[in-house]
Amino acid sequence: MWDVFLLQGLAGGLVTGSIYALIALSLVIIYKSTQVINFAGGEIVMIGAYLAMFILFFTGISYWIVVPLCALGTFIVGISFERVVLTRVKGRQMAGQSILVAMVIATVGLSYVLKGFVRLFPYTEEVRSLPPMVDSAPIFIGPAVITMQDVVIVVVAVASMSATWMFFQFTPLGRALRATADNSRAAVLVGIPIARMSALVWGIACGLSAIAGILIAPKVLMTPDMGTLIILAFAAAIIGGFTNIPGIIVGGFLLGIVENIVGLTISSNAISVTPFVVIILVLLLRPQGLFGGSSEVKKV
Amino acid sequence: MDCSKLTSRFAGFGLSLSLALAAGSAAAYTVGNPGGSYTDPGITDTEIVIGLHAPLSGRAKAYGVDALDAAKMWYKMINDRGGIWGRKIRVVVADDKCSPNDLVGVVKKMVTVDKVFLVHGGSCTHATVAAQEYITREKVPFVMLNAAGDAAVFPPTRYVFGSFGGTQRTVGGSLIDFVVKKLGAKKIAYVAHDDDFGASNFLAANWAVENNGVKFAADERVSRKIVDVTAPMLKIRASGADVLVITTYTGPAALFVKKAHEFGLKIPIVAAVQAVPNLKAFVKNVGSKDAFKNFYYGSPLNDLTDGPKQQWIINMFKKNYPGRSPSPFMSYGVPSAMAVAQALHNAGPNPTRESFVDAMSALKFNTGILAGPIEFGSNRRDGHNASIFLKFDGDATSRVPGVFFNGMPVN
Repeated sequence: MWDVFLLQGLAGGLVTGSIYALIALSLVIIYKSTQVINFAGGEIVMIGAYLAMFILFFTGISYWIVVPLCALGTFIVGISFERVVLTRVKGRQMAGQSILVAMVIATVGLSYVLKGFVRLFPYTEEVRSLPPMVDSAPIFIGPAVITMQDVVIVVVAVASMSATWMFFQFTPLGRALRATADNSRAAVLVGIPIARMSALVWGIACGLSAIAGILIAPKVLMTPDMGTLIILAFAAAIIGGFTNIPGIIVGGFLLGIVENIVGLTISSNAISVTPFVVIILVLLLRPQGLFGGSSEVKKV
Repeated sequence: MDCSKLTSRFAGFGLSLSLALAAGSAAAYTVGNPGGSYTDPGITDTEIVIGLHAPLSGRAKAYGVDALDAAKMWYKMINDRGGIWGRKIRVVVADDKCSPNDLVGVVKKMVTVDKVFLVHGGSCTHATVAAQEYITREKVPFVMLNAAGDAAVFPPTRYVFGSFGGTQRTVGGSLIDFVVKKLGAKKIAYVAHDDDFGASNFLAANWAVENNGVKFAADERVSRKIVDVTAPMLKIRASGADVLVITTYTGPAALFVKKAHEFGLKIPIVAAVQAVPNLKAFVKNVGSKDAFKNFYYGSPLNDLTDGPKQQWIINMFKKNYPGRSPSPFMSYGVPSAMAVAQALHNAGPNPTRESFVDAMSALKFNTGILAGPIEFGSNRRDGHNASIFLKFDGDATSRVPGVFFNGMPVN
């Protein structure tokens, strides 16, 4: 029996873990570039899911068009927020005041604005779901069952994360973004427009969040409060070492699997506290995360 | 007042008798206490003032708007028929937003500024509970509109009456009564929330399990925000249960039904009323009609929300509010208004708040809306203790014969 439990728990954990990792990635690229922790990350996920629901509901077009459309929609939301709000907040820094606190509070404000905004629309009072992306018979791996929807979730999440990583590693724009994240003053000196870079990072992160929202909506169902998922992404990011992108991806998968193992071996109601326990344990035992190294400062 | 017309219109309901009595009393006592003084506020020779509140805005307004309008409609109908002991009911309406702070503020204003005789309201238990201390201190009768949670009525307090839709104890107890008596279940897989809501449900479910000589094969408690139900569903599948009982809210319930289908679980699935507030939306959320081949769900009403036995109240609502289609929550607003009207009548021509409370405590009547009778007692403040069950096969819904009860005693 335990082999079935472990195999099925592992499969389920990989599926949810891939989404946690994707949301965590969206948080981390903003943090790496701007030092801001985006507390509205969960609400961007929610906006992406609702946007997809409305597009599917009113147009009936294919998911493969809906996903990029929603990513584009939230990309614009992200850029607009950075340009309209964060840039102004940054510009009003008082002497001796930490501007990061004000920026983080602005993201908290955004989360409430987005929740309130969504509630203005019909169909948001009740729990909703998106139809499965693919509807076919489940696959059996031994006694374990995996649906095609689960396979699509993992594939799309991994492809999105890989594309993001490759964009940052191999494209000139990606390198410019990394340079801005590593040292913004040096980036200015070599002619990189860091203000635009910051907006672009917000746009990309929000686009990734929308994809995560569309992937997770058929699994967890949608309400305007579904943004609380963000705590799972924080846990994944902390496991991986907040600034280490491959680390947070592994962290997402690990969290998904650990949740299922806890549910199977301890109790189902322990699943909901698992992310918090993981956050506390990692911060106590290895604050830099499982894959984050201690930062080094070299004198040159 | 034409009593025969009234009786024929609501024939079959205990209420018709009480209304006829009320009409009769109106004839006998044109004025309840001519020229007299009243010890309690909110009552004069010609009117009784009732504070009526519900969430009319915000995220929970879906629970409140139609239910409150249904209660108002009932009071209007009574006024149109001469009132109670010659007095017309005047309602003071307020929006409690389903928020404890707002609700307490609304109740205090109703009692101190509007000088109501009694308060009738609340669609959310947690907000209603917040007013309990004030209500008890001020000795104001408080009849819950359609809030039904256990916390408001257990332990019972003198001035608060409610749970006309049935508490979680009613839901849990009647679910087990149903699966044992109708489905012949012996080993039950049970899913509940890991909070006081789930604990209340389990209290009565466990009592019913122990008293029916059956057992829980699996007992899974999950968060309302659970994302992945793989682990609890694996344990349920391995437990060898012959029925799966789901008492969670609709989101987790849909995940369980979906996962049971993915895992090829063929046993009957029985869901509580809170799991299926809207069947159409629930089916969409599960995503496959095939998942409902062996599916049942409970209801505190006496029929499907749009079934033949509900039509009289639906038609009454449509007649009073032309152009509006009532939500499934509408019917739940009427039984509490019926109870208030009946108790005001039973309290006699010169009611006080205390005599009204005594009359509420002694109430027992059929509503023609709910599965079972409304019945309070000297130590019982939850009014309704029964459920019916509906079978849904993916396409059609049909009522399973019989009414099922929570047999657990109050103490």
